[in-house]
Amino acid sequence: MAEAYFPVGPGLGPEENFLSLDDILMSQEKLPGRAESNLPRLAFALGQGSGAGSGDSIPEVTVGGNYNSRQAPRGAVQGGQRRSGAGHAGSARRGRGLRGAERPCFHRRYCEGLRGSKLEIPMWLAKGLHDSKRRLISVELPKIYKEAWRTVFSADANVVDLHKMGPYYYGFGSQLLNFDNPENPEIAQCILQTFINRFRRIMDSSQNAYNEDTSSLVARLDELERALFQAGQKGLNDFQCWEKGQASQITVSSLVQNYGKRKFTEMDG
Amino acid sequence: MEPAEAEFLAEKELVTIVPSFSMDRVHLIGGDLGPFNPGLPVEVPVWLAINLKQRQKCRLIPPAWMDVEKLEEIRDQERKEDTFTPMPSPYYMELTKLLLNYASDNIPKADEIRTLVKDTWDTRMAKLRLSADSFVRQQEAHAKLDNLTLMEINTIGTFLTQALDHMYKLRTNLQPSGSAESQDF
Repeated sequence: MAEAYFPVGPGLGPEENFLSLDDILMSQEKLPGRAESNLPRLAFALGQGSGAGSGDSIPEVTVGGNYNSRQAPRGAVQGGQRRSGAGHAGSARRGRGLRGAERPCFHRRYCEGLRGSKLEIPMWLAKGLHDSKRRLISVELPKIYKEAWRTVFSADANVVDLHKMGPYYYGFGSQLLNFDNPENPEIAQCILQTFINRFRRIMDSSQNAYNEDTSSLVARLDELERALFQAGQKGLNDFQCWEKGQASQITVSSLVQNYGKRKFTEMDG
Repeated sequence: MEPAEAEFLAEKELVTIVPSFSMDRVHLIGGDLGPFNPGLPVEVPVWLAINLKQRQKCRLIPPAWMDVEKLEEIRDQERKEDTFTPMPSPYYMELTKLLLNYASDNIPKADEIRTLVKDTWDTRMAKLRLSADSFVRQQEAHAKLDNLTLMEINTIGTFLTQALDHMYKLRTNLQPSGSAESQDF
């Protein structure tokens, strides 16, 4: 009631909340998939520069091949030999002075399209391109939602470090249910059960840790659980503060204190 | 709701004082406050009692339940039962804090009383957490908890409602969604 800012929470269903910051960050997480049809001239946008690289790296295309070769003598010798032959993607990895040779092969791949090649694309892009009729891309499940990890979760959900496994486990998992996948019911069930099993620990740790360093307690929680932890901490802190009698003391508002203008002693002189 | 608001609501409870001044009957919107005669006990709301005590115009008499043996009984019964036992006052925590802060000289064995009340509070909070956990685990739709006080509900309220919200959304994921209503182009 006394807060100035009410953040929009994440939508945990098949549709995400448009205004939720958590959902925006969550949809940036990467999803492995394959391109099912030719996507001409889109290689660099889908991160094909280095194969397994991140989605926004644009591979270097340097224009001055000679300049590079002067700096690396050994590379220049190799570059001189190879520039005479046609360059391929494979030879591009063997030396440093091969910018000129790379250019024709990069151009070829650039126009070739990507059918069948592996992609790592962010969730927002995957959702937009997903269409059962046009078959542009097909997505695979990230390994944490697969069978092996599902058995780990059902055995004991408390030991898993959900922060490392993608800090948006629940939100991302709910979005995965959008793609038609025969394993969807099991995924949904697994996410629900994980949440239920971890609930006890979050409740106990948030309601009992007063005035302590909580970083070790939240280290293994994902973002949704961290928000819950903070809500529990707030309840506890409010109660303790009231019991000590601080609730009825008038204190400086943190916003005003940050201005640094509260210098009565200087003004009064 | 914040603890300070629960305390405000608790201050409406009646408590007995022995005034040291005299005054006629006062008519307030909430009710009448009976004539004050020095040395004669009279029942007033807690907010007035605290105010008069701070001005040194009265002496507070602790409520019947604020007594070491009674509180020990209550604490032991709370520990024995699995469900919540009815508390002597729906605002026992707030009243304890107010009376023991402002009128501890009028209350015998104030420290012991504070400890006993805190023990009872801890037991009840532990029971509350246990029942919240079993509620979530069994994915029930309703739960009924008797004899909870406002302060206990406040402390765990925000956390529990948010967690149940999340659980509800994750549960609706299990149902296969209807036809796609989003715009297809």
